[in-house]
Amino acid sequence: MKSEIRGGKAFSYVDIELQPDEVLVAEPDTMSSMDASIDLTAGFNGGFFRGLLRKFLGGESLFISYFKNETKQGRKITLTQNTPGEIRCVELKGNSMCFQPGAFIAMTEGVKLGLKWAGLVSFIAREGLFKLEVSGNGKVWYGAYGALIDKEIDGEYIIDTSHIVAYEPGIKLKLQLAGGIFSSFFGGEGLVTRVEGKGKVVVQTRSISGLTSWINPKLY
Amino acid sequence: MNYKIVLTGKLLDDTSLEGAIESLATMFRIPSEKAEKTFARAPITIKKSVDEATGKKYKMALAKKGIECTLEVLEQRVLAEDVVQPDTSVTASVQNEQLVEGVATDSPISSVAAVSPENTANSQHEEFKHDNADPLLGYQFQFEGRPDYGFVTVKIPADETLKVEASAMATMDTNIKMKTKLGGGFSRFLTGESLFINEYTAEGGQGEVGIAPASPGDIGHMFLNDETIYLQNSAYVASTAGVEVETKWQGLTKGFFSGENLFLIRCKGKGDLWFNTYGAMIELDVDDGYVVDTGNIVAFTEGLEYSISKVGGYKSLFFSGEGFVCRFSGKGKIWLQTRGVDAFASWVHPFRPVKNKG
Repeated sequence: MKSEIRGGKAFSYVDIELQPDEVLVAEPDTMSSMDASIDLTAGFNGGFFRGLLRKFLGGESLFISYFKNETKQGRKITLTQNTPGEIRCVELKGNSMCFQPGAFIAMTEGVKLGLKWAGLVSFIAREGLFKLEVSGNGKVWYGAYGALIDKEIDGEYIIDTSHIVAYEPGIKLKLQLAGGIFSSFFGGEGLVTRVEGKGKVVVQTRSISGLTSWINPKLY
Repeated sequence: MNYKIVLTGKLLDDTSLEGAIESLATMFRIPSEKAEKTFARAPITIKKSVDEATGKKYKMALAKKGIECTLEVLEQRVLAEDVVQPDTSVTASVQNEQLVEGVATDSPISSVAAVSPENTANSQHEEFKHDNADPLLGYQFQFEGRPDYGFVTVKIPADETLKVEASAMATMDTNIKMKTKLGGGFSRFLTGESLFINEYTAEGGQGEVGIAPASPGDIGHMFLNDETIYLQNSAYVASTAGVEVETKWQGLTKGFFSGENLFLIRCKGKGDLWFNTYGAMIELDVDDGYVVDTGNIVAFTEGLEYSISKVGGYKSLFFSGEGFVCRFSGKGKIWLQTRGVDAFASWVHPFRPVKNKG
């Protein structure tokens, strides 16, 4: 499977060429265009109950789309994401990666999509009770609003909760106040996440709360 | 590509050693004994991780004073320790000092292209790059995500403070303490900006703060050297302690009556200032007159006079859709954004769901 991410950071999209008999698993509504001969089947996201769990607790959808190329030649498919912003690809080789709700876009067949208990902390931070964990071998595409940057964490670091996109499983998230009581509520930062451990955290350079606080006063 | 500047120790055109030491000392604001020591240890690296343009600027400035130096390509992954420093205290003092004239003749504005994350994905965390045009000026910082979603990570030296627009902090080290201050006085309330500016202090050691502006768009930096800059109200991102931030009331006709609520924030003093735009950023030198739509102004320098007026007669005011513009005269620099928030709001507004207020 050949793939390329295009469209810059503002409006990224993924061009994928499916080889014969290859399958691409994608979130519904991420496909923007494809060759007419690619077969699409919708399935429950890992079974009916697990799909339900994912939808209501993991912030993902109940169904998931399978794109299969049953022809004898390579076929093209284009994926996008709902928000303006950057898309990235991660190649898993037996390792795993955790995603915040909404970040996952698509994956190749060898990758397993799992749901993990994220803890009450994540729930209070309005990021859902469960988190998505992808593991196995293959490519995974994910994205968010804004550009994506990597932060190598070794020890402790603080990240505004709405800016976390993905992280390696060696990272633990804890919630805390940004400053004192006064600062946290009037300073506009509120709760932040303290990340601990060793590994990579992917941070988005814009947040939806920033966008709304910027544009809302202008709308009447 | 990064370069390092190496002092060869050779002098040009009969410059005396004393004279050269003196120039070096004034240039880098270090005691002459330290400059003398630096010369004694030549050839020696006096500056590392600079881009080509900055390096050439240094080279020329030093050559003017009769000091020869060479530019050498820096290995991509060189660690800070690999480079010989003249003296740790020299570098420390150099880091936060302003520059001599001659080096700083150019605008202090960073025009260095953003480090593209694709190329440096592996190395960007090992080496904190100076993205500012002149590494001798101000704090170290790094731009990412430009030009669409500009993001800046600023390294705050130990026990120093950085002022950041409320709710713009995205990441920070654990030794950074946040304090909320009433920034810019009550008048900032009128500008529609948050009343609060947060102060981040690096307690007990260097720490970094990553700042994400609210609007999509680019981010810029300037070093104010006892200068004054006027920023459009929502363009302020962050500044160092030496920069005073206050709202300037333009008077009824200039500000309020213009209908475009062009409120300005005055930033003056000495230090770093970061600002953001909605859309792409254009930097312009104004020599004579220039007309800018009020919604597209980001910032301008103090030397410029401005007045708000309409483009044509009253007919064109209502029918051309141009509304009010800002006429600049005099000499100075202006920064423009290629989109306006009011235009965006009026474009998106008809498509927003309307709540039934009963």
